[in-house]
Amino acid sequence: MRLNIRFAGSGGQGVILASVLLSKAYGLGENYNIAQTQSYGPEARGGACKAEVVVSDEEIDYMKVTKADVFVALNQVGYDKYIDTVKDDAIVLINSTLVESDRPNVYRIQATQRAEDMGKPFVVNIIALGALTRLMPKIHYPAVEEEIKNNFNASIAASNLDAYKMGYDIMDADLKELGYKTGFGDSRQW
Amino acid sequence: MAAKSGKLNEVVLQGNEACAKGALYAGCRFFAGYPITPSTEIIEMMSGEMQKAGGAFIQMEDEIGSACAIIGARWGGSKAMTATSGPGYTLMQEAIGFAAVTETPIVIVNVQRGGPSTGQPTLSSQQDIYQARYGSHGDYEIIVLAPSSVQEMYDFTIKAFELSEQFRTPVILLADEVVGHMREKITIRDGSKTIKAERQKYVVSPQADFFQGAFTTVEGQLHDEQGRRIGHIAHKSGEFIYNLNKKITDNVDVISDISTYCMEDADVAIVAYGSVARPSLNAVKHARGIKDARIAPKFKIVRDIMKRGIQKTIQTDYSHLKVGLVKVNTVWPFPEELLKQATERVDTVIVPEMNVGKYSREVERVLKDKNVVPMSKCGGDIHTPIEILDKIMEVTGLDEEVEINE
Repeated sequence: MRLNIRFAGSGGQGVILASVLLSKAYGLGENYNIAQTQSYGPEARGGACKAEVVVSDEEIDYMKVTKADVFVALNQVGYDKYIDTVKDDAIVLINSTLVESDRPNVYRIQATQRAEDMGKPFVVNIIALGALTRLMPKIHYPAVEEEIKNNFNASIAASNLDAYKMGYDIMDADLKELGYKTGFGDSRQW
Repeated sequence: MAAKSGKLNEVVLQGNEACAKGALYAGCRFFAGYPITPSTEIIEMMSGEMQKAGGAFIQMEDEIGSACAIIGARWGGSKAMTATSGPGYTLMQEAIGFAAVTETPIVIVNVQRGGPSTGQPTLSSQQDIYQARYGSHGDYEIIVLAPSSVQEMYDFTIKAFELSEQFRTPVILLADEVVGHMREKITIRDGSKTIKAERQKYVVSPQADFFQGAFTTVEGQLHDEQGRRIGHIAHKSGEFIYNLNKKITDNVDVISDISTYCMEDADVAIVAYGSVARPSLNAVKHARGIKDARIAPKFKIVRDIMKRGIQKTIQTDYSHLKVGLVKVNTVWPFPEELLKQATERVDTVIVPEMNVGKYSREVERVLKDKNVVPMSKCGGDIHTPIEILDKIMEVTGLDEEVEINE
Protein backbone atom coordinates (compact mmCIF):
# COMPACT_ATOMS: atom_id res chain seq x y z
CA MET A 1 0.00 0.00 0.00
CA ARG A 2 1.27 3.42 -0.90
CA LEU A 3 -0.84 6.53 -0.44
CA ASN A 4 0.37 9.73 -2.07
CA ILE A 5 -1.25 12.73 -0.42
CA ARG A 6 -0.81 16.31 -1.58
CA PHE A 7 -1.93 19.53 0.11
CA ALA A 8 -1.90 22.86 -1.70
CA GLY A 9 -2.79 26.34 -0.58
CA SER A 10 -1.22 29.63 0.25
CA GLY A 11 1.38 30.35 2.91
CA GLY A 12 -0.39 31.08 6.20
CA GLN A 13 -3.33 28.75 5.70
CA GLY A 14 -1.65 25.99 7.65
CA VAL A 15 -0.99 23.71 4.71
CA ILE A 16 2.23 22.30 6.14
CA LEU A 17 0.87 21.97 9.67
CA ALA A 18 -2.09 19.94 8.43
CA SER A 19 0.24 17.61 6.55
CA VAL A 20 2.53 17.25 9.57
CA LEU A 21 -0.38 16.33 11.85
CA LEU A 22 -1.67 13.81 9.34
CA SER A 23 1.76 12.26 8.85
CA LYS A 24 2.34 11.98 12.59
CA ALA A 25 -1.06 10.40 13.03
CA TYR A 26 -0.28 7.82 10.36
CA GLY A 27 3.28 7.31 11.60
CA LEU A 28 2.81 7.13 15.35
CA GLY A 29 -0.91 6.51 15.82
CA GLU A 30 -1.41 3.95 13.07
CA ASN A 31 2.18 2.71 12.83
CA TYR A 32 2.82 3.20 9.11
CA ASN A 33 5.97 4.49 7.49
CA ILE A 34 5.61 8.08 6.42
CA ALA A 35 7.58 10.71 4.55
CA GLN A 36 6.40 14.29 4.68
CA THR A 37 7.92 16.94 2.43
CA GLN A 38 7.03 20.47 1.48
CA SER A 39 7.78 23.21 -0.95
CA TYR A 40 7.21 26.90 -0.48
CA GLY A 41 8.64 30.27 -1.40
CA PRO A 42 10.66 32.66 0.77
CA GLU A 43 7.60 34.65 1.88
CA ALA A 44 6.12 34.16 5.35
CA ARG A 45 2.56 34.51 4.04
CA GLY A 46 0.80 34.58 0.72
CA GLY A 47 3.07 32.55 -1.53
CA ALA A 48 2.12 29.25 -3.10
CA CYS A 49 2.62 26.38 -0.70
CA LYS A 50 2.56 22.64 -1.21
CA ALA A 51 2.98 19.80 1.25
CA GLU A 52 3.16 16.10 0.52
CA VAL A 53 2.75 13.01 2.64
CA VAL A 54 3.59 9.49 1.53
CA VAL A 55 2.12 6.70 3.67
CA SER A 56 3.25 3.14 3.18
CA ASP A 57 3.48 -0.17 5.00
CA GLU A 58 6.88 -0.69 3.37
CA GLU A 59 10.01 1.40 3.51
CA ILE A 60 9.61 4.58 1.50
CA ASP A 61 12.44 5.25 -0.93
CA TYR A 62 11.09 7.99 -3.17
CA MET A 63 9.69 10.56 -0.74
CA LYS A 64 7.86 12.89 -3.10
CA VAL A 65 4.51 12.57 -4.79
CA THR A 66 4.29 12.36 -8.58
CA LYS A 67 0.63 11.42 -9.03
CA ALA A 68 -1.59 12.00 -6.03
CA ASP A 69 -4.08 9.51 -4.60
CA VAL A 70 -5.40 12.24 -2.37
CA PHE A 71 -5.43 15.95 -3.11
CA VAL A 72 -6.51 18.73 -0.73
CA ALA A 73 -6.77 22.27 -2.11
CA LEU A 74 -7.24 25.19 0.26
CA ASN A 75 -7.13 27.87 -2.42
CA GLN A 76 -7.81 28.23 -6.13
CA VAL A 77 -4.21 28.82 -7.21
CA GLY A 78 -3.09 25.59 -5.57
CA TYR A 79 -6.04 23.71 -7.03
CA ASP A 80 -5.36 24.90 -10.57
CA LYS A 81 -1.68 24.15 -10.29
CA TYR A 82 -1.93 20.53 -9.16
CA ILE A 83 -5.34 19.22 -10.26
CA ASP A 84 -3.79 17.73 -13.40
CA THR A 85 -1.39 15.56 -11.41
CA VAL A 86 -3.96 13.53 -9.49
CA LYS A 87 -5.06 10.01 -10.34
CA ASP A 88 -8.46 9.43 -11.93
CA ASP A 89 -9.92 7.75 -8.86
CA ALA A 90 -8.27 10.14 -6.41
CA ILE A 91 -9.93 11.70 -3.41
CA VAL A 92 -10.11 15.43 -4.13
CA LEU A 93 -11.10 17.63 -1.20
CA ILE A 94 -11.55 21.36 -1.74
CA ASN A 95 -12.08 24.32 0.53
CA SER A 96 -15.28 25.28 -1.27
CA THR A 97 -15.33 28.80 0.18
CA LEU A 98 -12.33 29.67 -1.96
CA VAL A 99 -12.10 26.95 -4.59
CA GLU A 100 -14.33 26.31 -7.55
CA SER A 101 -14.14 23.00 -9.36
CA ASP A 102 -15.98 21.40 -12.26
CA ARG A 103 -14.45 18.00 -11.62
CA PRO A 104 -17.00 15.27 -10.87
CA ASN A 105 -16.68 13.47 -7.52
CA VAL A 106 -15.12 16.28 -5.54
CA TYR A 107 -15.57 16.45 -1.80
CA ARG A 108 -16.31 19.93 -0.54
CA ILE A 109 -15.91 21.57 2.85
CA GLN A 110 -16.66 25.23 3.57
CA ALA A 111 -13.49 25.44 5.64
CA THR A 112 -12.81 29.17 5.48
CA GLN A 113 -16.47 30.05 5.98
CA ARG A 114 -16.85 27.70 8.96
CA ALA A 115 -13.66 28.94 10.56
CA GLU A 116 -14.82 32.52 10.27
CA ASP A 117 -18.20 31.58 11.72
CA MET A 118 -16.35 30.12 14.69
CA GLY A 119 -14.54 33.44 15.07
CA LYS A 120 -11.25 31.58 14.67
CA PRO A 121 -10.08 32.03 11.07
CA PHE A 122 -6.81 30.18 11.78
CA VAL A 123 -8.52 26.77 12.06
CA VAL A 124 -9.18 26.49 8.30
CA ASN A 125 -6.55 23.78 7.95
CA ILE A 126 -7.83 21.78 10.91
CA ILE A 127 -11.41 21.79 9.62
CA ALA A 128 -10.09 20.49 6.31
CA LEU A 129 -7.95 17.96 8.19
CA GLY A 130 -11.02 16.73 10.07
CA ALA A 131 -12.87 16.20 6.80
CA LEU A 132 -9.83 14.56 5.23
CA THR A 133 -9.38 12.17 8.16
CA ARG A 134 -12.92 10.93 7.59
CA LEU A 135 -12.19 10.39 3.90
CA MET A 136 -8.91 8.55 4.37
CA PRO A 137 -8.53 4.81 4.72
CA LYS A 138 -6.37 3.20 7.40
CA ILE A 139 -6.69 6.04 9.87
CA HIS A 140 -8.96 6.55 12.85
CA TYR A 141 -10.37 9.62 14.52
CA PRO A 142 -8.31 9.39 17.75
CA ALA A 143 -4.95 9.19 15.94
CA VAL A 144 -5.22 12.73 14.58
CA GLU A 145 -6.96 13.96 17.74
CA GLU A 146 -3.96 12.78 19.76
CA GLU A 147 -1.54 14.67 17.53
CA ILE A 148 -3.59 17.87 17.79
CA LYS A 149 -3.43 17.57 21.58
CA ASN A 150 0.33 16.99 21.46
CA ASN A 151 1.11 19.80 19.06
CA PHE A 152 -0.77 22.71 20.61
CA ASN A 153 -0.89 24.43 23.99
CA ALA A 154 -3.98 23.50 25.96
CA SER A 155 -5.49 26.95 25.38
CA ILE A 156 -5.41 26.68 21.62
CA ALA A 157 -5.85 22.92 21.40
CA ALA A 158 -9.51 23.28 22.44
CA SER A 159 -10.56 25.36 19.44
CA ASN A 160 -8.53 23.14 17.13
CA LEU A 161 -10.18 20.03 18.53
CA ASP A 162 -13.59 21.64 17.97
CA ALA A 163 -12.62 22.48 14.41
CA TYR A 164 -11.32 18.96 13.83
CA LYS A 165 -14.54 17.40 15.10
CA MET A 166 -16.64 19.77 13.01
CA GLY A 167 -14.80 18.92 9.81
CA TYR A 168 -14.95 15.20 10.59
CA ASP A 169 -18.68 15.24 11.35
CA ILE A 170 -19.61 17.20 8.24
CA MET A 171 -17.75 14.77 6.02
CA ASP A 172 -19.13 11.81 7.96
CA ALA A 173 -22.65 12.95 7.11
CA ASP A 174 -21.70 13.45 3.45
CA LEU A 175 -20.19 9.98 3.17
CA LYS A 176 -23.15 8.33 4.86
CA GLU A 177 -25.39 9.92 2.27
CA LEU A 178 -23.24 8.43 -0.46
CA GLY A 179 -23.00 5.10 1.33
CA TYR A 180 -19.19 5.07 1.19
CA LYS A 181 -16.84 3.68 3.79
CA THR A 182 -13.91 5.85 2.70
CA GLY A 183 -13.50 8.72 0.30
CA PHE A 184 -12.39 6.28 -2.38
CA GLY A 185 -15.93 4.96 -2.44
CA ASP A 186 -16.24 1.82 -4.52
CA SER A 187 -13.12 2.45 -6.58
CA ARG A 188 -10.70 0.90 -4.09
CA GLN A 189 -11.06 -1.75 -1.44
CA TRP A 190 -9.07 -1.55 1.77
CA MET B 1 14.98 14.59 32.75
CA ALA B 2 17.92 12.25 33.16
CA ALA B 3 16.25 9.42 31.31
CA LYS B 4 17.98 6.10 31.13
CA SER B 5 20.65 6.43 28.52
CA GLY B 6 20.31 4.47 25.33
CA LYS B 7 16.59 3.69 25.49
CA LEU B 8 15.12 3.59 22.01
CA ASN B 9 12.21 5.81 21.05
CA GLU B 10 10.17 5.97 17.89
CA VAL B 11 9.41 9.53 16.82
CA VAL B 12 8.37 11.52 13.78
CA LEU B 13 11.00 14.19 13.26
CA GLN B 14 12.15 16.59 10.62
CA GLY B 15 15.65 15.99 9.28
CA ASN B 16 16.94 19.16 10.90
CA GLU B 17 15.42 18.25 14.25
CA ALA B 18 16.92 14.78 14.00
CA CYS B 19 20.31 16.37 13.39
CA ALA B 20 19.98 18.47 16.55
CA LYS B 21 18.88 15.39 18.54
CA GLY B 22 21.81 13.42 17.16
CA ALA B 23 24.27 16.13 18.14
CA LEU B 24 22.93 16.23 21.70
CA TYR B 25 23.12 12.47 21.92
CA ALA B 26 26.70 12.58 20.63
CA GLY B 27 27.61 14.87 23.50
CA CYS B 28 27.53 18.25 21.75
CA ARG B 29 27.33 20.82 24.54
CA PHE B 30 28.06 24.02 22.65
CA PHE B 31 26.16 25.37 19.70
CA ALA B 32 26.72 28.71 18.02
CA GLY B 33 24.78 29.61 14.92
CA TYR B 34 22.98 32.15 12.84
CA PRO B 35 19.58 31.10 11.47
CA ILE B 36 19.28 30.56 7.74
CA THR B 37 16.73 28.67 5.66
CA PRO B 38 16.73 25.68 5.23
CA SER B 39 18.78 24.87 8.34
CA THR B 40 16.93 27.08 10.84
CA GLU B 41 15.16 24.21 12.60
CA ILE B 42 18.51 22.90 13.86
CA ILE B 43 19.21 26.21 15.56
CA GLU B 44 15.64 26.45 16.77
CA MET B 45 15.75 23.06 18.44
CA MET B 46 19.24 23.63 19.85
CA SER B 47 18.14 26.90 21.44
CA GLY B 48 15.47 25.03 23.37
CA GLU B 49 17.23 21.75 24.13
CA MET B 50 20.81 22.79 24.79
CA GLN B 51 20.12 24.36 28.17
CA LYS B 52 18.18 21.30 29.30
CA ALA B 53 21.26 19.24 28.45
CA GLY B 54 23.45 21.57 30.47
CA GLY B 55 25.24 23.08 27.51
CA ALA B 56 25.46 26.52 25.95
CA PHE B 57 23.66 27.98 22.96
CA ILE B 58 24.55 31.30 21.38
CA GLN B 59 22.91 33.02 18.46
CA MET B 60 25.89 34.77 16.95
CA GLU B 61 26.14 37.97 14.93
CA ASP B 62 26.91 35.99 11.76
CA GLU B 63 28.32 32.74 10.43
CA ILE B 64 31.96 33.85 10.70
CA GLY B 65 31.44 34.34 14.42
CA SER B 66 29.55 31.05 14.70
CA ALA B 67 32.34 28.97 13.17
CA CYS B 68 35.01 30.73 15.23
CA ALA B 69 33.00 30.33 18.43
CA ILE B 70 32.72 26.57 18.08
CA ILE B 71 36.48 26.29 17.51
CA GLY B 72 37.05 28.20 20.75
CA ALA B 73 34.45 26.11 22.56
CA ARG B 74 36.16 22.90 21.49
CA TRP B 75 39.50 24.19 22.75
CA GLY B 76 37.72 24.91 26.01
CA GLY B 77 36.60 21.29 26.19
CA SER B 78 33.04 21.20 24.83
CA LYS B 79 32.05 19.20 21.79
CA ALA B 80 30.71 21.85 19.45
CA MET B 81 28.65 22.23 16.31
CA THR B 82 27.19 24.88 14.04
CA ALA B 83 24.64 24.67 11.24
CA THR B 84 24.05 26.79 8.19
CA SER B 85 23.28 26.80 4.49
CA GLY B 86 25.20 27.91 1.38
CA PRO B 87 25.64 31.66 2.00
CA GLY B 88 26.63 31.09 5.62
CA TYR B 89 28.84 28.18 4.70
CA THR B 90 30.78 30.46 2.37
CA LEU B 91 31.44 32.83 5.26
CA MET B 92 32.71 29.94 7.40
CA GLN B 93 35.50 28.91 5.04
CA GLU B 94 38.23 30.85 6.81
CA ALA B 95 37.38 29.21 10.11
CA ILE B 96 37.22 25.77 8.52
CA GLY B 97 40.80 26.15 7.29
CA PHE B 98 41.81 27.32 10.74
CA ALA B 99 40.11 24.31 12.36
CA ALA B 100 41.87 22.03 9.88
CA VAL B 101 45.33 23.45 10.53
CA THR B 102 44.87 23.58 14.30
CA GLU B 103 43.36 20.07 14.15
CA THR B 104 40.24 21.06 16.04
CA PRO B 105 37.41 18.50 16.03
CA ILE B 106 34.23 20.38 15.14
CA VAL B 107 31.07 19.52 13.23
CA ILE B 108 29.59 21.87 10.66
CA VAL B 109 26.20 21.15 9.10
CA ASN B 110 25.48 22.56 5.67
CA VAL B 111 21.87 22.07 4.64
CA GLN B 112 22.32 22.95 0.99
CA ARG B 113 19.98 25.26 -0.86
CA GLY B 114 20.15 26.54 -4.42
CA GLY B 115 23.03 28.91 -5.17
CA PRO B 116 25.07 30.85 -6.09
CA SER B 117 24.81 33.68 -3.57
CA THR B 118 21.45 33.88 -1.76
CA GLY B 119 20.11 31.77 -4.63
CA GLN B 120 17.03 29.76 -3.75
CA PRO B 121 16.38 29.90 0.01
CA THR B 122 13.66 27.26 0.11
CA LEU B 123 14.72 24.86 -2.60
CA SER B 124 17.22 22.06 -2.67
CA SER B 125 20.55 21.54 -4.42
CA GLN B 126 23.84 19.68 -4.16
CA GLN B 127 25.88 22.53 -5.54
CA ASP B 128 28.21 22.74 -2.54
CA ILE B 129 29.75 19.32 -3.08
CA TYR B 130 33.08 20.82 -4.16
CA GLN B 131 32.99 23.67 -1.69
CA ALA B 132 32.61 21.16 1.12
CA ARG B 133 35.88 19.61 0.01
CA TYR B 134 37.87 22.55 -1.37
CA GLY B 135 36.18 25.55 0.27
CA SER B 136 39.06 26.90 2.31
CA HIS B 137 42.43 27.79 0.83
CA GLY B 138 45.53 25.67 1.09
CA ASP B 139 46.12 21.94 1.12
CA TYR B 140 43.99 20.14 3.65
CA GLU B 141 41.80 17.06 3.72
CA ILE B 142 38.36 16.96 5.22
CA ILE B 143 35.64 14.44 5.97
CA VAL B 144 32.20 15.05 4.49
CA LEU B 145 29.10 12.91 5.14
CA ALA B 146 25.95 13.03 3.00
CA PRO B 147 22.74 11.81 4.67
CA SER B 148 19.79 10.74 2.53
CA SER B 149 17.09 10.15 5.13
CA VAL B 150 15.96 11.54 8.47
CA GLN B 151 17.38 8.48 10.24
CA GLU B 152 20.71 9.16 8.55
CA MET B 153 20.57 12.81 9.59
CA TYR B 154 20.52 11.48 13.16
CA ASP B 155 23.04 8.68 12.71
CA PHE B 156 25.50 10.62 10.56
CA THR B 157 25.54 13.55 12.98
CA ILE B 158 26.65 11.14 15.69
CA LYS B 159 29.16 9.63 13.29
CA ALA B 160 30.43 13.11 12.39
CA PHE B 161 31.28 13.75 16.03
CA GLU B 162 32.99 10.38 16.31
CA LEU B 163 35.09 10.92 13.17
CA SER B 164 36.02 14.48 14.12
CA GLU B 165 37.31 13.27 17.47
CA GLN B 166 39.12 10.28 15.99
CA PHE B 167 40.92 12.30 13.36
CA ARG B 168 41.06 15.71 15.05
CA THR B 169 39.54 17.36 12.04
CA PRO B 170 36.48 19.38 11.14
CA VAL B 171 33.73 17.14 9.74
CA ILE B 172 31.03 18.49 7.43
CA LEU B 173 27.52 17.06 7.40
CA LEU B 174 26.43 17.88 3.87
CA ALA B 175 22.65 17.63 3.89
CA ASP B 176 20.22 19.32 1.54
CA GLU B 177 16.83 20.97 1.78
CA VAL B 178 14.98 17.75 0.98
CA VAL B 179 16.42 15.71 3.86
CA GLY B 180 16.57 18.77 6.11
CA HIS B 181 12.89 19.55 5.82
CA MET B 182 11.54 16.03 5.34
CA ARG B 183 9.74 14.33 8.20
CA GLU B 184 10.02 10.60 8.74
CA LYS B 185 9.54 8.10 11.50
CA ILE B 186 12.89 7.31 13.05
CA THR B 187 14.42 5.68 16.10
CA ILE B 188 16.39 7.84 18.48
CA ARG B 189 18.05 7.21 21.81
CA ASP B 190 17.61 8.84 25.19
CA GLY B 191 20.43 10.46 27.06
CA SER B 192 23.95 10.92 25.82
CA LYS B 193 26.60 8.72 24.36
CA THR B 194 30.14 8.92 25.62
CA ILE B 195 32.39 9.19 22.63
CA LYS B 196 35.79 7.87 23.42
CA ALA B 197 38.36 10.59 23.03
CA GLU B 198 40.71 7.88 21.86
CA ARG B 199 42.35 8.94 18.62
CA GLN B 200 43.09 6.61 15.79
CA LYS B 201 46.41 5.23 17.02
CA TYR B 202 47.98 5.08 13.60
CA VAL B 203 47.20 8.69 12.77
CA VAL B 204 50.34 10.74 12.37
CA SER B 205 49.38 14.17 13.56
CA PRO B 206 51.63 17.20 13.11
CA GLN B 207 50.89 18.60 16.54
CA ALA B 208 50.81 17.12 20.05
CA ASP B 209 47.25 16.46 21.18
CA PHE B 210 46.41 19.38 23.40
CA PHE B 211 42.89 18.06 23.88
CA GLN B 212 44.51 15.22 25.83
CA GLY B 213 46.54 17.50 28.05
CA ALA B 214 49.62 18.18 25.91
CA PHE B 215 50.93 21.65 26.73
CA THR B 216 51.20 23.44 23.40
CA THR B 217 50.15 26.71 21.82
CA VAL B 218 47.47 26.89 19.16
CA GLU B 219 48.74 28.33 15.92
CA GLY B 220 47.23 29.03 12.52
CA GLN B 221 50.62 29.24 10.86
CA LEU B 222 52.30 25.95 10.16
CA HIS B 223 53.75 24.72 13.40
CA ASP B 224 55.75 21.97 15.04
CA GLU B 225 54.72 19.47 17.73
CA GLN B 226 54.67 22.18 20.37
CA GLY B 227 52.77 24.67 18.25
CA ARG B 228 55.81 26.83 17.47
CA ARG B 229 55.81 28.50 14.07
CA ILE B 230 57.75 26.75 11.34
CA GLY B 231 56.32 28.64 8.37
CA HIS B 232 59.76 29.99 7.49
CA ILE B 233 61.40 26.53 7.38
CA ALA B 234 60.57 24.96 4.05
CA HIS B 235 61.33 21.30 4.70
CA LYS B 236 59.52 21.26 8.05
CA SER B 237 56.54 23.06 6.57
CA GLY B 238 56.40 20.54 3.76
CA GLU B 239 56.41 17.70 6.23
CA PHE B 240 53.60 19.38 8.18
CA ILE B 241 51.40 19.64 5.10
CA TYR B 242 52.03 16.01 4.14
CA ASN B 243 51.25 14.81 7.65
CA LEU B 244 48.11 16.91 7.91
CA ASN B 245 46.81 15.42 4.67
CA LYS B 246 48.03 11.89 5.37
CA LYS B 247 45.98 11.85 8.53
CA ILE B 248 42.96 11.46 6.25
CA THR B 249 44.38 10.02 3.02
CA ASP B 250 46.13 7.14 4.81
CA ASN B 251 42.87 6.20 6.46
CA VAL B 252 40.44 6.46 3.56
CA ASP B 253 39.63 2.78 4.02
CA VAL B 254 38.68 3.39 7.66
CA ILE B 255 36.59 6.46 6.91
CA SER B 256 34.92 5.44 3.63
CA ASP B 257 31.40 4.13 3.71
CA ILE B 258 29.16 3.19 0.80
CA SER B 259 25.94 1.17 0.60
CA THR B 260 25.17 -1.01 -2.38
CA TYR B 261 21.87 -2.38 -3.67
CA CYS B 262 21.55 -5.06 -6.33
CA MET B 263 25.16 -4.60 -7.43
CA GLU B 264 26.03 -8.32 -7.46
CA ASP B 265 25.07 -8.87 -11.10
CA ALA B 266 24.55 -5.33 -12.31
CA ASP B 267 25.59 -4.08 -15.76
CA VAL B 268 24.60 -0.50 -15.05
CA ALA B 269 25.32 1.27 -11.76
CA ILE B 270 23.81 4.44 -10.39
CA VAL B 271 26.19 6.33 -8.12
CA ALA B 272 24.28 8.78 -5.94
CA TYR B 273 24.68 10.59 -2.64
CA GLY B 274 22.36 12.55 -0.38
CA SER B 275 18.66 12.78 -1.07
CA VAL B 276 19.06 11.84 -4.75
CA ALA B 277 19.93 8.30 -3.63
CA ARG B 278 16.25 7.86 -2.71
CA PRO B 279 14.63 8.25 -6.17
CA SER B 280 17.65 6.33 -7.52
CA LEU B 281 16.82 3.37 -5.29
CA ASN B 282 13.22 3.57 -6.39
CA ALA B 283 14.31 3.51 -10.03
CA VAL B 284 16.54 0.50 -9.39
CA LYS B 285 13.67 -1.38 -7.78
CA HIS B 286 11.48 -0.68 -10.77
CA ALA B 287 14.20 -1.63 -13.21
CA ARG B 288 14.71 -4.90 -11.38
CA GLY B 289 11.00 -5.55 -11.22
CA ILE B 290 11.28 -6.04 -7.47
CA LYS B 291 7.73 -6.60 -6.44
CA ASP B 292 6.48 -5.39 -3.18
CA ALA B 293 3.38 -3.70 -1.96
CA ARG B 294 4.55 -0.35 -3.20
CA ILE B 295 5.03 -1.30 -6.77
CA ALA B 296 2.03 -1.66 -8.99
CA PRO B 297 1.88 -5.22 -10.32
CA LYS B 298 2.23 -4.24 -13.93
CA PHE B 299 4.22 -1.53 -15.57
CA LYS B 300 2.61 -0.20 -18.63
CA ILE B 301 5.11 0.22 -21.35
CA VAL B 302 3.90 2.05 -24.37
CA ARG B 303 5.81 1.16 -27.47
CA ASP B 304 6.26 3.72 -30.11
CA ILE B 305 4.58 1.53 -32.71
CA MET B 306 4.26 4.30 -35.23
CA LYS B 307 8.00 4.75 -35.22
CA ARG B 308 8.86 1.07 -35.28
CA GLY B 309 6.27 0.00 -37.78
CA ILE B 310 5.84 -3.48 -36.29
CA GLN B 311 4.41 -4.55 -33.00
CA LYS B 312 6.80 -6.24 -30.63
CA THR B 313 6.31 -8.14 -27.45
CA ILE B 314 5.37 -5.69 -24.75
CA GLN B 315 7.49 -5.97 -21.64
CA THR B 316 5.44 -6.13 -18.49
CA ASP B 317 8.28 -5.07 -16.25
CA TYR B 318 11.88 -4.01 -16.44
CA SER B 319 13.35 -7.06 -14.76
CA HIS B 320 15.58 -7.58 -17.77
CA LEU B 321 17.47 -4.44 -16.76
CA LYS B 322 20.37 -5.27 -14.50
CA VAL B 323 20.76 -2.04 -12.61
CA GLY B 324 22.30 -1.46 -9.18
CA LEU B 325 22.80 1.45 -6.84
CA VAL B 326 25.92 2.63 -5.06
CA LYS B 327 24.98 5.13 -2.36
CA VAL B 328 27.98 7.13 -1.20
CA ASN B 329 27.68 7.98 2.49
CA THR B 330 31.11 9.56 2.97
CA VAL B 331 31.43 11.75 -0.10
CA TRP B 332 34.87 13.05 0.93
CA PRO B 333 37.52 11.70 1.08
CA PHE B 334 36.47 10.12 -2.20
CA PRO B 335 35.90 6.39 -1.58
CA GLU B 336 38.06 5.38 -4.53
CA GLU B 337 38.78 1.76 -3.67
CA LEU B 338 35.28 0.93 -2.47
CA LEU B 339 33.76 2.43 -5.59
CA LYS B 340 36.17 0.54 -7.85
CA GLN B 341 35.33 -2.73 -6.12
CA ALA B 342 31.59 -2.12 -6.18
CA THR B 343 31.50 -1.22 -9.87
CA GLU B 344 34.02 -3.82 -10.98
CA ARG B 345 31.71 -5.63 -13.39
CA VAL B 346 29.55 -2.79 -14.68
CA ASP B 347 30.07 -1.02 -18.01
CA THR B 348 28.07 2.10 -17.42
CA VAL B 349 27.78 4.38 -14.42
CA ILE B 350 25.05 7.01 -14.12
CA VAL B 351 25.66 9.84 -11.66
CA PRO B 352 22.48 11.79 -10.88
CA GLU B 353 23.03 14.95 -8.84
CA MET B 354 21.30 18.26 -8.20
CA ASN B 355 24.03 20.47 -9.67
CA VAL B 356 25.68 20.98 -13.05
CA GLY B 357 27.46 17.63 -12.77
CA LYS B 358 30.35 17.84 -10.33
CA TYR B 359 30.72 14.58 -8.48
CA SER B 360 30.50 12.78 -11.82
CA ARG B 361 33.92 14.23 -12.71
CA GLU B 362 35.38 12.59 -9.65
CA VAL B 363 33.71 9.30 -10.58
CA GLU B 364 35.08 9.68 -14.10
CA ARG B 365 38.58 10.21 -12.74
CA VAL B 366 38.46 6.99 -10.75
CA LEU B 367 36.51 4.79 -13.17
CA LYS B 368 38.51 5.56 -16.29
CA ASP B 369 37.48 2.50 -18.28
CA LYS B 370 33.75 2.87 -17.65
CA ASN B 371 31.16 4.88 -19.48
CA VAL B 372 30.34 7.54 -16.88
CA VAL B 373 27.10 9.38 -17.65
CA PRO B 374 26.44 12.55 -15.65
CA MET B 375 22.81 13.30 -14.94
CA SER B 376 22.62 16.84 -13.78
CA LYS B 377 19.48 18.59 -12.59
CA CYS B 378 19.35 22.20 -11.48
CA GLY B 379 16.49 24.37 -10.34
CA GLY B 380 15.56 22.93 -6.99
CA ASP B 381 13.55 19.81 -7.78
CA ILE B 382 14.93 16.41 -6.93
CA HIS B 383 15.21 13.80 -9.71
CA THR B 384 12.12 11.68 -10.14
CA PRO B 385 12.39 7.88 -10.48
CA ILE B 386 10.95 8.16 -13.99
CA GLU B 387 13.70 10.51 -15.10
CA ILE B 388 16.30 8.10 -13.79
CA LEU B 389 14.58 5.12 -15.44
CA ASP B 390 14.48 7.07 -18.69
CA LYS B 391 18.21 7.62 -18.41
CA ILE B 392 18.75 3.92 -17.78
CA MET B 393 16.73 3.14 -20.91
CA GLU B 394 18.77 5.64 -22.85
CA VAL B 395 22.16 4.31 -21.83
CA THR B 396 21.13 0.69 -22.34
CA GLY B 397 19.84 1.57 -25.81
CA LEU B 398 16.29 0.44 -25.09
CA ASP B 399 13.63 2.37 -26.85
CA GLU B 400 10.80 2.07 -24.38
CA GLU B 401 8.60 4.64 -22.82
CA VAL B 402 8.61 4.49 -19.07
CA GLU B 403 5.63 4.74 -16.83
CA ILE B 404 5.41 4.19 -13.11
CA ASN B 405 2.01 3.90 -11.57
CA GLU B 406 2.16 3.73 -7.80
